[in-house]
Amino acid sequence: MTELLSLENINTFYGPVQVHFDLSLTVGRGHIVCLLGGNASGKSTTMKIILGLVKPQSGIVRFDGQPATGLPTPQIVRRGVGSVPEARRLFGDMSVRENLLMGAFVRKDQKAIAEDLDRVLGLFPKLAERLAQRAGTLSGGEQQMVAMARALMGRPKLICMDEPTMGLSPLWVDRVLDLIAAINKEGVTVFMVEQNASLALEIAHHAYVLQTGRIVLQGPASQLRADPRIRDAYLGGQEAA
Amino acid sequence: MSSWIDYTVNGIIIGNIYALLAVGLALIFGVSRLINFAHGSVYVVGAYAGFLAVTHLGTPLPVTIALVVVVGALLGLVIERFGLRPLQGYAHIAPLLATIGISFVLDQLVQLFFTPDPRALPSSLLETRFQIGSGTIGALDLVIAAIGLASAGLLYTFLRYTRLGWAVRATAQDRDAAQQMGVDVDAVNRTVFAIASGLGAVSGLLVGMYYNYIDPAMSFQATLKGVVAQVVGGVGNVPGAIAGSLLLGLVESYGIALFGTSYRNLFAFVLLVAVLVWRPNGLFASKRQTPPEPMTGTFIAPSRPIQIPGKVLLAAAAVAALVPLVLPHPYVLQTLTNSWLYALLGLSLTLIAGTVGLVSLGHAALLAIGGYSSALLALNFGVPVGIAILSAGLIAALLGTVLVFPSFRLRGHYLSIATLAIGEIVSLVILNWEWLTRGPIGVSGIPSLSLFGIELDTDRSVYWFTLVLVIVLAALQLRLLGSHLGRVLRAVRDDDVAARSYGIRLDRYKALAFAFGSFAAGVSGGVTSHIYSYINHETFNAQLSILALTIVILGGMGNVTGAIVGSVLLVGLPEVFRVAAEYRVLIYGLVLLLLVRFRPQGLLGTV
Ligand SMILES: Nc1ncnc2c1ncn2[C@@H]1O[C@H](COP(=O)(O)OP(=O)(O)OP(=O)(O)O)[C@@H](O)[C@H]1O
Ligand SMILES: [Mg+2]
Repeated sequence: MTELLSLENINTFYGPVQVHFDLSLTVGRGHIVCLLGGNASGKSTTMKIILGLVKPQSGIVRFDGQPATGLPTPQIVRRGVGSVPEARRLFGDMSVRENLLMGAFVRKDQKAIAEDLDRVLGLFPKLAERLAQRAGTLSGGEQQMVAMARALMGRPKLICMDEPTMGLSPLWVDRVLDLIAAINKEGVTVFMVEQNASLALEIAHHAYVLQTGRIVLQGPASQLRADPRIRDAYLGGQEAA
Repeated sequence: MSSWIDYTVNGIIIGNIYALLAVGLALIFGVSRLINFAHGSVYVVGAYAGFLAVTHLGTPLPVTIALVVVVGALLGLVIERFGLRPLQGYAHIAPLLATIGISFVLDQLVQLFFTPDPRALPSSLLETRFQIGSGTIGALDLVIAAIGLASAGLLYTFLRYTRLGWAVRATAQDRDAAQQMGVDVDAVNRTVFAIASGLGAVSGLLVGMYYNYIDPAMSFQATLKGVVAQVVGGVGNVPGAIAGSLLLGLVESYGIALFGTSYRNLFAFVLLVAVLVWRPNGLFASKRQTPPEPMTGTFIAPSRPIQIPGKVLLAAAAVAALVPLVLPHPYVLQTLTNSWLYALLGLSLTLIAGTVGLVSLGHAALLAIGGYSSALLALNFGVPVGIAILSAGLIAALLGTVLVFPSFRLRGHYLSIATLAIGEIVSLVILNWEWLTRGPIGVSGIPSLSLFGIELDTDRSVYWFTLVLVIVLAALQLRLLGSHLGRVLRAVRDDDVAARSYGIRLDRYKALAFAFGSFAAGVSGGVTSHIYSYINHETFNAQLSILALTIVILGGMGNVTGAIVGSVLLVGLPEVFRVAAEYRVLIYGLVLLLLVRFRPQGLLGTV
């Protein structure tokens, strides 16, 4: 297996507060890798480091064989990193169609973009009926679909997703997880941040558990699924949700 | 007599001119959450660039417009470069203050090059007027309307159909998300500043041609009008800004028809405060949503204030008290007296803006209230001057707090704008309330300072009197800061959400601090009026408000000693070095700009 993304010994600070302590992880090409952890453990910050929205104080980010530490976000996106941000962050006043096309912002190949729009709508047929609707008026689950479709429109090598199932009903959670697996089958590597370990581990290949900025557990998903420490390590009572 | 049609046409034309300003402000606010206070300066520069082109190069109108757009756009890039880009990650009020500094610098440069005197900006258009019904419409009116429409059309096309336009819209809606789509948000900022400033400059040109009149002082009013129009339309909302501008133009035009010219701005500012307080999303927002508000956070750079031992402070006070004996030079004494008066104002503002975090941009209004109260009490009712000054402090405390109270619920930028507008309202009321304030003539023959029947008629006695006032009020304020109340006030500033959750009634505490601060400002205004013996509605102008803020930031927000030091440095030093008045405002602007950027905690540190 070759690796697509790696973080090596990342230390991150917000002002005086340290959020990551020598964080290292790797994401293999074609895999779904999951970063699990409780609230405020530094998951979203990890995503922001990968996307260049937050700069680590020390450590190295490598993407696709090249160092990517400290690059501005647009460049990282151009290199093939797509993102489904926490709480989806759609452009609420723009139509669904415009949101999807914004996903292809860094691309210039108009014809291929049009084809990709059809392809993505094939994957998310629900959205085809809603193309003209203002994105802000969609339901939470529909918004999640738009966010995922939008990320796909950039033809990324890697998609980073921050808690894609947050706030969704069980039915929609299943749908979203199925779609992530489907996206992955098309060859897109997925790095996913989740609180809901048992669900995420169903589709993941590999997982890391983050606890207050440190990786405390990692391994193949099949192994972690059975690991009692997953519960003890951080889930506590949250498993019920 | 003009007909209603004429007033309507006039309102729409003025509305178009405002729209060119307001649309730019809305675009800039949209992508950067900044209310660009240098926008009016761009407008003035646009007017003067047009003036130069027309009078020196004899350019035809289309060329003039093109030139003005280019000059404006370039200036916009400069403002973005110095006012916004270096301040990313600072408190959100920082870029606003920086643009105020930039506008001081730009306006003053225009004044230095072109003198403050008004100029005529002849329009090359024939004075043809077409009859419509009972009114007329001129060729220039049509040109302005056409430019307004064309700009709106171009802007719409840009935002809808171009890649960069999409990037602008996406950035305005969610900056982080736009970045994650690969949008270079810095480039978006630059584009938006260039477009907005191009439009703003054309607005200045058109207004100059419309009235055949330009002067450097138009800048501040233009910024305010643009801000009013865009707040009325909903901050950051481009179509709303256009609608707000037309509404403002019509309200002003009909207002003039009904009440006369001097009321014109009053309507604009009352409208602004009313919308801010009751419809913070603007008049056209369909749904109840909280207004965009990432600009919370006060301008309090974390720092450890420099501790000055009590002994040193006492020694400094003693030295200050000895100055008249050692250096009995009238010029020195008058200069320092002036500094003490500003120090009172600084004490007031450092408490309100620093300790409680309400960055007031209209603080001169409190001076005006104090000045007029004391002068009129002494003059009309024969109240002894000492008591008149004390009453002036109390009146300023009461009236100031009542006026600002409805705005306490606003945060960050919005509060600052509300105070700015309230300051203008006070000055306009003074101008228009003739039977009380004597309107534009001003109040003259104000009795000179006296205390318990003793005339303070020497420079020396006035000096000591003002110094004692400063020392007493500073000591009181230090006690206040050290008390439990002082801690509560800082808690209100640092986190009003948390403070509220502890059950602290925010408005009351803000009002308390505001009243205490206003008292000092009112006293300062009162004393000033008796020293000057003449005041009018422009004695305490908006520039003074900004000077006060600069003093306070220079000393360190919330820092009592800092306010005094800041005032001596900013008011006293230029005087000692006899810096010409034209350069002073330039210096104030530069100091403000540099402080915000390089030493936001001020000289002595924030408290
Ligand atoms: N911009 C910021 N400035 C200062 N502190 C921050 C900032 N963003 C996050 N933090 C802090 O860093 C820590 C980690 O935040 P992060 O958002 O990465 O956590 P998370 O694991 O994603 O949590 P959640 O599950 O709640 O989304 C938290 O304590 C948070 O308060
Ligand atoms: Mg998170």
